[in-house]
Amino acid sequence: MWRTSLACAALASTAWFCASALTEGFEVWTAEGARRLQVANAPVAAPHAVLAGPDIAGQTLHDVLARPGRVTIASFMYTRCPTVCLALGSSLQQLQQVIDTDIKLLSISFDPTQDDAEQLRRHAALWQADPRHWRMATVPDAALLQRLLAAWQVVAIDDGRGGYEHNAALLVIDERGRLVRIFDDTDVAGALEFARALQRGGSVM
Amino acid sequence: MQSLRVPLLPLAGLCLLLVMLWPPLRHAIEARMSTHMLVQFPALLLAGALLAAPLSQRWSNGLQRWNELGIAGLVASALTMALLMVPRVLDLALQDARVESAKLLALLASGAALGVSWQRAGTVIQAFFLGNMLPMLAVVGTLYQDSPTRLCNAYLLDDQQTLGAALAWVSGGILVAWLLRLRQPLKAAAQAESAAHGPPGSASRRQRAASTDAG
Repeated sequence: MWRTSLACAALASTAWFCASALTEGFEVWTAEGARRLQVANAPVAAPHAVLAGPDIAGQTLHDVLARPGRVTIASFMYTRCPTVCLALGSSLQQLQQVIDTDIKLLSISFDPTQDDAEQLRRHAALWQADPRHWRMATVPDAALLQRLLAAWQVVAIDDGRGGYEHNAALLVIDERGRLVRIFDDTDVAGALEFARALQRGGSVM
Repeated sequence: MQSLRVPLLPLAGLCLLLVMLWPPLRHAIEARMSTHMLVQFPALLLAGALLAAPLSQRWSNGLQRWNELGIAGLVASALTMALLMVPRVLDLALQDARVESAKLLALLASGAALGVSWQRAGTVIQAFFLGNMLPMLAVVGTLYQDSPTRLCNAYLLDDQQTLGAALAWVSGGILVAWLLRLRQPLKAAAQAESAAHGPPGSASRRQRAASTDAG
């Protein structure tokens, strides 16, 4: 019977090791949780991406994000989105009313075929986005867009009704253009507090 | 008959495995969370059990000392199942070929371990195993069903809720199936009992029972 006990103990330790690796030390259970933890531990630089959108065409993502003293709260969306993007939009609208001069908001559409500059302009008007604070953009080049989505682990899947379900969130980006922290799409206070702390403390980490 | 049946089972297991690994089908099954867990997982468990069917007689006799009463095998499959219930596994399996391979192998091995160990375990250890697994399955199902947010970035919310409800039903279904099977040996035991201590005049029946016991 000792052999069976030994085998069970070996199995249990192996499973413990696997579980610990899988959950980053029993911290996270979902891919989204792991993504947030990874970003908080190791900021992810914005990959090269040429933007399109009202007043932003031709600039790179890095140009828009990386300015001394600037902190950006970005989010990924598509303008026809009937569900989570509404929550996201209302979060950004609230942020727009309270942010300080050098915290910027950036909505990035992952659906450039539908969301051209004109559509983004209409969407910005609908949300009363003040272009000094809140801009809308997309990445028309499919390969660059995929690289950006992969780098920041943004996942958009076909919902079978002509739209997408996606891991909507508030992404805080530091003055070097690095994604440093991810908040729930409705956690306006958390994102704002972190962005302000980041700005006061300069580039953390 | 016996010589015919033994190679048939692993052959069926191999066919099932190849069908499940066939890329277009595998991708179609993994495109939905519900089919990923409700079709692929049980199919690979079954394939593992079928592939291991000839082992359960010969090879496992040497292994038995490490798997007395099937305990190690049931522990192995219980731990594997628990790991595979972590939602991150499903997302990772879609992105990372190493995780996908590990998941497929773990399911096959689990099925093999279950197949080799189940009969040997006996009612009490089976009950202990199911007493751990079925509540876990039901709780995970309830969590999937009640979660207002998606647990897997690659899967839709309504798919997750369908899967959650189904997992709870599967858990209940396995319990019912096991209890129904449990009735057969109980009935047989009761019949043997009544035959042994039956009323006078049933001597012929008693004799028959005795001869079956001897055989």
